[in-house]
Amino acid sequence: MHNLDFALTGAWQVLLAGLALGAGLPILFALGIRSLAWGAGEASVNTSGVTAGTKRPLGTALGYALFAVVVLGVLLGLTFIVASGFGYKLDFSHIYPTLVEK
Amino acid sequence: MILALVVITALAFDFTNGFHDTANAMATSIATKALRPKTAVALSGVLNLVGAFLSVEVALTVTNAVVKIQDKSGAPKAELLADGGSGLLLIILAGLVGGIVWNLLTWLLGLPSSSSHALFGGLVGATLAGLGVAGVNWNGDGSKLDGVVGKVLLPAVISPVIAGVVAVAGTWVIFKITAGVAARFTEKGFRWGQIGSASLVSLAHGTNDAQKTMGVITLALIASGHWDDLENIPLWVKVSAALAIALGTYLGGWRIIRTLGKGITDITPPQGTAAQSGAAAVILASSHLGFALSTTHVATGSVIGSGLGRPGATVRWAVAGRMVLAWLITLPSAGLVGAAMWWVGDAVGGMAGALVVFALLVAASGAMYLRSRSGKVDHENVNDDWDGVAAQPVTPIPAAAAN
Repeated sequence: MHNLDFALTGAWQVLLAGLALGAGLPILFALGIRSLAWGAGEASVNTSGVTAGTKRPLGTALGYALFAVVVLGVLLGLTFIVASGFGYKLDFSHIYPTLVEK
Repeated sequence: MILALVVITALAFDFTNGFHDTANAMATSIATKALRPKTAVALSGVLNLVGAFLSVEVALTVTNAVVKIQDKSGAPKAELLADGGSGLLLIILAGLVGGIVWNLLTWLLGLPSSSSHALFGGLVGATLAGLGVAGVNWNGDGSKLDGVVGKVLLPAVISPVIAGVVAVAGTWVIFKITAGVAARFTEKGFRWGQIGSASLVSLAHGTNDAQKTMGVITLALIASGHWDDLENIPLWVKVSAALAIALGTYLGGWRIIRTLGKGITDITPPQGTAAQSGAAAVILASSHLGFALSTTHVATGSVIGSGLGRPGATVRWAVAGRMVLAWLITLPSAGLVGAAMWWVGDAVGGMAGALVVFALLVAASGAMYLRSRSGKVDHENVNDDWDGVAAQPVTPIPAAAAN
């Protein structure tokens, strides 16, 4: 059952990449939302949370920084789709992604 | 003439592929009202169109995954061309019909089943009937993940689980992080999160699935001697396949969108973001690693996962169970139709045989379309409460009987 071996090896890699990008990025995104809320004032449980408390610029900045990381992740995904369509693939051997011809 | 029927049928399959799979990308955004239903299908259609053109890679060898009618370069096997290619065309035609009929039937029942599996199933069935057991690539040659087992069966079992685990993890942590954050931040934020991640899934779908039809049409052109370039696909094939899948996507398989968006679990924007990001990441990672999987299985797995990950959410296992059952029988059912079509076509023989097969397809499609008019699901009622209308046993899938 060589196919089972290949499938299980592949499955692990897909699971790890999926967790890192598919769960990791939305988690960063959620952190970004929380930072923004914190930066805008008191994070409030009740529905009348529109009463703005003290502004915290650090939170706002951190929030947008986290969004930027998420956007980079999405751009990486887009690059991958476009690049593989044109016969290139992403190479992660230098840690940062580079494009190499297939 | 048979060639023309094959091309029309292939484009019809591409069209059903589009509307069958709209749900994979857009069901969650529609269910949470991040996008209005019509906007969502339009966005998805455009992205599928763009995606179909983005890929210049030739998917000529698409059938090699499951059947042995082409050699490694993509050229049809020489022994199949002895009769001018009409035998090969009949196999392709019967296989496509098997895929379409199964796609339409599962759409009628509102079940998200895999379009690629339906296509592969139809081709396997037609090949079994036409060439016998040896014509099917069951297990590959041992050098890589290949064959019916490696490209269809194993990924079908594994990929929903992977996507589910990713979505459970994402959803659970997101709810922990955003607990207590004012709704005005979470709602706007996750709305964009959902739209972005759903768009990625649409784009990836266009690049993957339109290629399959382009490959099949080009194979038919080569078999009948109308094309001989193994490196390129005729432009008109590319344009028509891209348009067919985009139009299908825009039409929207509302029944399936409803099942995936409302039926399995009640989705909130953070869950939608987690589910769709998980699906996008799993789809892209696996195509990067050459691990063939179905967008449908991934999307469904991640929706179930997002239901399991949200504290207090319930998953309707009866709905999920019906879907899994549909996945299990997709390959053999489409195969049966494909085989039956080949036998009919072969018994009648020649041009008339192909016409009879095509007429049967039109009749079956027409019947299923008419059946769908009662208990219609469209962009108006796609978001109706699932349990509320489920009480009226009108159609196999719960839908408002109002229109």
